[in-house]
Amino acid sequence: MRRYIDFYLATMRISILEQIQYSVANYFYMIGMITEPVIYLVVWTTIARQQGGTTGGYTVGAFAAYYIIWTLVRNMNIVFTPFGWEWRIREGQLSMMLMRPIHPIHSDVAFFAGWKFVVILLWLPLAAILSWIFKPTFDIRWMEVIVFSLAIWGAYLIRTMLLSLLGMITFWTTRVSAIFELYFGLELILSGRLVPMTLMPVWIQDLSNYLPFKWTFFFPIEALVGNLTDVQLWSGFGMQLLWIATGIFLLNIIWNFAIKQYSAVGG
Amino acid sequence: MNPIKLALTYLRIGVLNEMQYRINFFIQLLQSFISVATGLIGLSLVFGQVKKLAGWSRPELLAVMGVHLLMGGVIRSIIQPNMERLMDDVRNGTLDFVLTKPADAQILVSVHEFRFWQLVDVIVGIVVISIAFIQLNGTLGILQFFGFLSALIMGGIMLYSVWLMVTSISFWVIRVQEISNLFEGLYAAGRWPVGIYPSWLRTGLTFLVPVAFAVTIPAEALTNRLTGTSLLIALGMTLLFVVLSRGLWRLGLSNYSGASS
Amino acid sequence: MTPTISVSNLSKHYKVPERDGGMKAAVISLFNRKYRTVKAVDDVSFNIEAGEVVGFLGPNGAGKTTTLKVLSGLLHPTSGMVNVLGYEPTKRSHDYLRQVALVMGNRNQLSWDLPAIDSFELQRAIYSLPVSEFKKTRDDFIDLLELKDLVNKPIRNLSLGERMKMEIVGALLHRPKVLFLDEPTIGLDVTMQRRIRAFIKEYNQRWGATVLLTSHYMADVEALCKRVIVIHHGHTLFDGELNQLVTQFSSFKTLGITLPDPEVDLSQYGEVLTRDGARVTLRVPKAKTSQVTANLLSDLQVDDLTVEDTPIDDVIDSVFTSTKAAK
Repeated sequence: MRRYIDFYLATMRISILEQIQYSVANYFYMIGMITEPVIYLVVWTTIARQQGGTTGGYTVGAFAAYYIIWTLVRNMNIVFTPFGWEWRIREGQLSMMLMRPIHPIHSDVAFFAGWKFVVILLWLPLAAILSWIFKPTFDIRWMEVIVFSLAIWGAYLIRTMLLSLLGMITFWTTRVSAIFELYFGLELILSGRLVPMTLMPVWIQDLSNYLPFKWTFFFPIEALVGNLTDVQLWSGFGMQLLWIATGIFLLNIIWNFAIKQYSAVGG
Repeated sequence: MNPIKLALTYLRIGVLNEMQYRINFFIQLLQSFISVATGLIGLSLVFGQVKKLAGWSRPELLAVMGVHLLMGGVIRSIIQPNMERLMDDVRNGTLDFVLTKPADAQILVSVHEFRFWQLVDVIVGIVVISIAFIQLNGTLGILQFFGFLSALIMGGIMLYSVWLMVTSISFWVIRVQEISNLFEGLYAAGRWPVGIYPSWLRTGLTFLVPVAFAVTIPAEALTNRLTGTSLLIALGMTLLFVVLSRGLWRLGLSNYSGASS
Repeated sequence: MTPTISVSNLSKHYKVPERDGGMKAAVISLFNRKYRTVKAVDDVSFNIEAGEVVGFLGPNGAGKTTTLKVLSGLLHPTSGMVNVLGYEPTKRSHDYLRQVALVMGNRNQLSWDLPAIDSFELQRAIYSLPVSEFKKTRDDFIDLLELKDLVNKPIRNLSLGERMKMEIVGALLHRPKVLFLDEPTIGLDVTMQRRIRAFIKEYNQRWGATVLLTSHYMADVEALCKRVIVIHHGHTLFDGELNQLVTQFSSFKTLGITLPDPEVDLSQYGEVLTRDGARVTLRVPKAKTSQVTANLLSDLQVDDLTVEDTPIDDVIDSVFTSTKAAK
């Protein structure tokens, strides 16, 4: 255990040192990403205004709050991609990682976790500017803050598991970009990234309950900006833990097959 | 060498190259369908709540989506690949190979790359526009059609010029990859008519990244909103962007030669 | 005593999908794939004792890298037994990985944007090395490779050779007992190659590490390896002392002669390899060397005469060409 803590801290330190050097690039990246929620926000506040101030229970200010927190959650959701796995296998980087007495997934989780600290720091001024422009209304209890700050890391881990699982496909075939696109399309609809899930048709909401996506987007945002009870907050976080455990379980199984495949065909 | 001939040669090479990877056609087709599907879901969510969004009806917004898709295909097949390659060339110093060729360097770097299969988006975009047009029960007059076409071409030229300007910055600032990401993000705003955005954003989308001219104005032509004045402004802006980008490109180039010798 | 590395009847075969060009064939291949078997390594056996430095020679595609990857645990053997330090490499047990290192000349592990010293810290955590021991090893290595002024500079600002030195330091910080080096000096200039060679030698002597090395540069092999294993098309062609390789495979010697009269024709004595003014090199069958030398000295006025073994490069060359001819 101590060994892993030491490894995580060392990797996070490296990633923070690296990413600080790229603050400007990171900023451009974040600003580029902000246009997406701003578009959604503008569309939905336009609708809310047309309907006299609220749509589907969201006021103009509530939409603003949703999509501003959205930007942080989106940043927390950035993890090592399946395209990265493809590259890693093609370039032989995976071989070098496999020579270390530590699982490559640990490296990914630790590296991106370190990066998140830089991202959160860079996000704060952006959030301030967005708040100044769009005037969000927040009604926050301290319990919401606690669960939110845990849930963004839960979202990070769930998405890491999902995209790593997706990345495993590249051990067998390299022509997978279509599968990835399909995945991202599903995620857009079922996660709360496009609109708050409560605005979705009921059958999509039902479907999303059985899938991991909404726990990476809608739940963390809703934990902070919505009006969930303490029970709802903690059971939501419990669902996140469940999905993380499921992800680890599946990843372990598929990883064994993937490594067998890798060591059969070369690296 | 005749620039048009040159462009056609590269075009041919690009097509031949891409024909080898026919599976990419299906991948591209699937991607286009996914983006149409998510777009349609977005529209149905919006029009589940209201009849009109900022004065635009559902089929009208479908037309906007079609133009956005079409123009996106043009960007990804021709403009973006060339500009990204240019950034790489500047960084790796391989631009020398281009500069030593006996042709206008700007034209050379602009026609080098061609992603043939991305044109699937153009086709899908045209299909979406047609469907929207049928839903509108519209008749396309000859004047209206040429208004649309010229707005589209001018929009394309403006987008190219802005890309070139941004890329020219790579002569001074090496890491500009993120700028292209920023550009993609801003282009996504064109999915909706720029009129719905707050004024500061609308200004940016009109004059900095001319999404307004590239998507909204052609869509206005289709939905009988276009006035002669805005077409004239588009013409003026196009000329301005072309001249500006040419100037910045030249400046960057002289900076590049100065640094590498 | 059991050898550090033991390989018996190792084979590694790949199945490669085979298909014709065109769309139709591509679609067919989705359902009914045809495979062709490539024998990258075929029935190779050898043992390496602790502390040995062995050169692994062969042309591209001979199976060198495949063998190294099997030994590192990255590849499963198709058949045969492999044992390193008492471990079965394919199991990739962490205890095993902690005792070996694979260095590939064209792969990098260190963070591009950070000074090496930061990346070394990560290596310490990966291998959970005790801090004091880690610091001592690190500083020793830095001294040996004269990197003191460079460890605080970002890797991206270093030259290729300096970067490779850093990579080697990073790869050896956990003081592996067994070292697999795949082209460690590729693309480096001669001085840098020499530096790295000296370091590997020093490492081997100081810690008694076992080293298996592939290289395109015979100078690496000559400087480091007493013993070489030559493989070609996945088969072992030779396994023994380097100078034995020369005696076994080279049936010729090279005579260097300097004559006062550059016009003299020497072709009756042997095959003229080069002629540079008064300096001529001749290739003669080994058995005849002493006789030809005597003849030359008695027949002609000779200013200078040297007898040399054929350069190792040429020997290796002739090993491969002779087997190719035999096939």
